[in-house]
Amino acid sequence: MSALAASTTYQIPTDERRPAFGRLTRIELRKMLDTRSGLWFSAAVAAVTLITVIITALVKGGHDATLHRLFNNSVEPAAILLPVLGVLLVCGEWSQHTTLTTFTLVPDRNRILLAKLAASIVVAFAAFGICLACSVVVGELLPAPSGAGSLSFAVLAQGLLFLAATMMIGVAFGAAIMLSAPALVIYLALPTAWDALSSTIHPLKTLSHWLAIGPTLGPLATHSFSATDWAHAGTTLALWLAVPLIIGVWRFARRDIN
Amino acid sequence: MIEATSLTKRYGDRPAVQDVTFTCAPGTVTGFLGPNGAGKSTTLKMLCGLARPTSGHSTVLGRPYAELPNPGRHVGVLIDASAAHEGRRGRETLAVSAALLGVADPRVDELLELVDLDAGAARKRVGQYSLGMRQRLGIANALLGDPQLLILDEPANGLDPVGMRWIRGLLRDFASRGGTVLLSSHLLHEVEAIADRLVIIADGRIVAQGTPQELLDGHARARVRSADDQVLRRALRQHSIEVTDTDDGALLADASTEAVSDVALGAGVAVRELRAAGDDLEQLFFQLTENGARESRAMDQPAPPLLTTDTTLQEVKR
Repeated sequence: MSALAASTTYQIPTDERRPAFGRLTRIELRKMLDTRSGLWFSAAVAAVTLITVIITALVKGGHDATLHRLFNNSVEPAAILLPVLGVLLVCGEWSQHTTLTTFTLVPDRNRILLAKLAASIVVAFAAFGICLACSVVVGELLPAPSGAGSLSFAVLAQGLLFLAATMMIGVAFGAAIMLSAPALVIYLALPTAWDALSSTIHPLKTLSHWLAIGPTLGPLATHSFSATDWAHAGTTLALWLAVPLIIGVWRFARRDIN
Repeated sequence: MIEATSLTKRYGDRPAVQDVTFTCAPGTVTGFLGPNGAGKSTTLKMLCGLARPTSGHSTVLGRPYAELPNPGRHVGVLIDASAAHEGRRGRETLAVSAALLGVADPRVDELLELVDLDAGAARKRVGQYSLGMRQRLGIANALLGDPQLLILDEPANGLDPVGMRWIRGLLRDFASRGGTVLLSSHLLHEVEAIADRLVIIADGRIVAQGTPQELLDGHARARVRSADDQVLRRALRQHSIEVTDTDDGALLADASTEAVSDVALGAGVAVRELRAAGDDLEQLFFQLTENGARESRAMDQPAPPLLTTDTTLQEVKR
């Protein structure tokens, strides 16, 4: 409290800037890791990825444990856990009442939500790096021919997209629903219910080629996508990412803080 | 500088805050006083853009809060001391805010020292903090950006007597250097020692505002005995001054001693005893908040639960 200006003449500097978007994103990343739960969760994602790769290598062994398969399997646990992190990234603010501080310092809530999405992409990059590193290292450590083969650029890029998309779907669900438990249940239960329904009700089966997360996004880390595959993935993302995100943007900006 | 103009907040049909208008001038401490549930927090949240008013508007430092580019640099806000992540360490909680504000990291340690949280406390996770420690952390958080204006909701809540004296000194000092302070409380004695002005709210409406002296003057009462109470009573009522009888046979008039003496002179009644009564801020506070609550109960059906106001008043009386 060094520089309280003379009271009546106090002016907000005309050149004052809002906190830059990069800074907001860095802070969202920091907030993900600087709590006990956040740190453990992130460590758990990395550990589960490594364990999955090791198990794949041991179970498949030899010619079947190609680098491609190791990488493909390594992405799976992250794709399940990152959406949970995404949900918590938004809902945690409400449940821990940190929105009071966050929104008084940054009143434009859309920027906060955008920063959370940007942070999700950074997390997806990090998870991708961990998946790739685990696959390559485990592959190298195993006796040949395990870990042999190569990874196409398409599969690598698609794997990254898969992780980013699932994490952002988590953020979108979190923003739309705002309570962690219901958001997680709905995120996990809806696609499963959809899959169950579509396997019994025939007309839905065709639809699920277009709208079910598992069948349309799952193969992203498996093979290079055709135009049809992209169309299927696109419609799925529209339903599971764009719709909750639109609802989320609307609700996130309007909700009163209690 | 804070300006609230006709702030109104309704949840469905239930009015939480109605037509609240007040200003806080630089260099002053304003006490925002009212029973629990009277609408203090809702009003403060509307000032900080955390809740949308149903109607009305407000500005801080001449602008709506949400239009301040980097609000933390000008306005220090503490709405709820327990609103910090339980799993985050005390120092880190401040460091995150500092990073967001663009304030250098050493400032965090400066503030930890100012609010008397030692290195051990700073390393602890907020979940392990007592309410008093959270309150101190919240105050440090509000002061991080070296603000010009402070908006604090029940800042003394959970502080021990030493802590309360400390915060009084801190706010007094802040205002004496030109800062504006708005702090809420449901306890009169917490604010009357430092507030230059009081804004009293009951059941969502402002029932009185002004300096403590102005409030007392505006609600002056006089105790009077005269040679002929009957004539004097009639004369006072003719001047629209409410009169009641006291237990010991005097009259209690809702007017200043000057006004009563003028009426008595006009009526030709000799005054035997005349003195000011009820220059007691606490008495006035009860009277105002009770009346305010009663009036708005009569106006808004269905009646809100009586319990909210009454229990708080008992708390205050203790």
